[in-house]
Amino acid sequence: MQKNALYILLADDDEDDRLFFKDAFEEIKIQTNVDFVHDGMQLMDHLNNPDNKLPDILFLDLNMPKKTGKECLVEIKKTDRLKDIIIAIYSTSSSEEDIEDTFIQGANIYIKKPSDFNTLKKIINEVVTVNWHYHTSGLNRDNFLLRLK
Amino acid sequence: MKWIPNFNSSNSLRVIFVIAVFILLFLSSIAYRHNQDLNDSSKVVMHTYEINIQLERLMSAIKDAETGQRGYIITRNARFLTPYIYSRDKVNKSFINLKKLTADNPKQQQNLKNLFKLIIQRFNSFEYCLKYSDPKTYDKRKLDNYMFSGRILMDNIRFKVDEMNDIEQTYLKNRLKIYDDEISLSPLFSILLFLVALSFILLAYRQISRDIERLKIFNKKLLISNGLISESEIIGKFSTWQWDLDSNKIDYSDNQYRLLGYEPHSFVPEQETFLNFVHPDDKDIVASSMEGILNNKILPFVYYKILLPTKEIRYFKSTGKLLTDQQGSKILLGINFDITDEHLLNIELQDRYRELEKSNKELASFNHVASHDLQEPLRKIQTFISRVSDADKDIMSDSAKNYIIKIEASAKRMRVLIDDLLLFSRTNTTKKEFIKTALTELLSNAEAELAEVISEKEAVITAGKLPKLEVIPYQIEQLFINLIGNSLKYSQPDNIPKITIESEKIDSSDYPEILDQSIKKFHKITFTDNGMGFDPQFKETIFVLFQRLHSKTDYPGTGIGLAICKKITENHKGYITADSIPGKGSVFTVFLPE
Repeated sequence: MQKNALYILLADDDEDDRLFFKDAFEEIKIQTNVDFVHDGMQLMDHLNNPDNKLPDILFLDLNMPKKTGKECLVEIKKTDRLKDIIIAIYSTSSSEEDIEDTFIQGANIYIKKPSDFNTLKKIINEVVTVNWHYHTSGLNRDNFLLRLK
Repeated sequence: MKWIPNFNSSNSLRVIFVIAVFILLFLSSIAYRHNQDLNDSSKVVMHTYEINIQLERLMSAIKDAETGQRGYIITRNARFLTPYIYSRDKVNKSFINLKKLTADNPKQQQNLKNLFKLIIQRFNSFEYCLKYSDPKTYDKRKLDNYMFSGRILMDNIRFKVDEMNDIEQTYLKNRLKIYDDEISLSPLFSILLFLVALSFILLAYRQISRDIERLKIFNKKLLISNGLISESEIIGKFSTWQWDLDSNKIDYSDNQYRLLGYEPHSFVPEQETFLNFVHPDDKDIVASSMEGILNNKILPFVYYKILLPTKEIRYFKSTGKLLTDQQGSKILLGINFDITDEHLLNIELQDRYRELEKSNKELASFNHVASHDLQEPLRKIQTFISRVSDADKDIMSDSAKNYIIKIEASAKRMRVLIDDLLLFSRTNTTKKEFIKTALTELLSNAEAELAEVISEKEAVITAGKLPKLEVIPYQIEQLFINLIGNSLKYSQPDNIPKITIESEKIDSSDYPEILDQSIKKFHKITFTDNGMGFDPQFKETIFVLFQRLHSKTDYPGTGIGLAICKKITENHKGYITADSIPGKGSVFTVFLPE
């Protein structure tokens, strides 16, 4: 594990998605460490374990067994130690309701899972290289949903 | 309260009657007194005449004595003396009568006494005359003297009798005058009074007959309205009841009996009767609401069930009010409605509503399936295909490469279908927030969205002035995108696409076949293009979901775009129509209410 690398955590129950995600990170030329959890329960256990390093960016799927992404989001934002983690919602759905809800609950960005591997790479690249401090201060409903130019 | 007609005339009638009765009483008392006086005066007259007669008898008795004495003196025949002998008795008798008759008059008594003295003297002179005319004791000088003094006495007696008669006459005159004075009313005045009383009575009679006429009319009206009320109670399935709180008498309208399953007036309602009909479940509610009406004077609607004698359950709705009539007595008025039909209909509607809600939920879960569960495998197919790198493709056979391309195209088409379908269903289900928005702004957003195609086709879009309307902004923007996008898609290959957008305000009455006439004004926005157009026979069907006029390969599309347009205009209580001349272009017209 590289020391200065960004620490990325993906919570997704879908094995294929985890595979695409892993491959995409390997292909982009940014030093990152990527970890995976398979459901909401595992995610919260991982985050709440003080031995584990907190991720720089958490990619959070919404539709997960045991505990949904939305429930995790609410819990994270309620916990002092966790509430500053950058959270990127990473979901198949692009329903207005999901976007609205997660925005209100304090997620930083909303990514609709792309159907093209190259697009996925571009998205990951964009999200990882964003200056989050700057981005968050200007966050609004219009730029919450990530759209690639 | 207005429901009791007012007969004010009854008071004035009473006054008129009382006046007339008093006048008549007055007249009859006068008449009675008049009669009484007449009686009295006739008695007085009789009295006077009796005295007169008695006095005359007295006179005639004395005259008889005188005549008899003369006959005797001349003839010396004792037969002539008989009247003389009897005259004394006659005089005495008359005298006694006179004494009785004048008992109330001291003056006449005095006169009578004087008269008596004169008569005694006269009889004495008779005696002397007889004595001195007797041949045995004849004395011519003394006889002459006594004869002469008898003559004088006779004159005095006559004088006295006349005097007494005069007194009686004067007395009679005075008495009659007194009576005349007492009866002060002239017959003319009496008749006048009588006429007044008569006219009063006539007036009263006229008033009474007038009141009777009015009563008859009111009665007729009452009968008619009573009949109407009872008819309308039957038609409207409601009934009324009145509870007179003072006399504690309860009246049901005819229909109340019928609603309770009985013939009208087949029983006498009492305070507790109604509760017996109420379904056991609802007895408490009805009982407490009856108490409430007494306290609050008004009863809000109360809903309950009624159990008919046939064990059938009817649903009732009741209300009531405490009324106070002109006499101050309190009447509780109640109205019952039989709402069984409505109630059953309501239950049916509720069932329908539940069914609808259920199917709506199913639809929502279908949406969820479409948006999540269907998309996920599709997305993976697409992602996996995208992972087949060019290097991989190089070692594939041509047919395999072709298949990959076909899979990619099919997956793409499926994605468009799912996206459009979602868009269509969301047009309906997402919340509709109406915001006053300038349509020009939404149009430029739409143009920005389509910028790529517009520049690619070098299309010219000209827009007139568009109104500011209360709309769901993103939907109208979608409408513009779809309509312009449609025009661009079906442009003629050789022509530069030209789209003209114009708006005008119109009256709904100008388009009676299309527009809802309850909304007066509409904005008519037309999208005119010079595209390839379509056969006008399809101008209705193009708005139907999944209806396509062209093959997929020529013009890719899902057949959802115009269906969305229709849905959006419907969401705005608007309309959309299309018309076209094939080869010349088409016109899409959107009507939005002002």
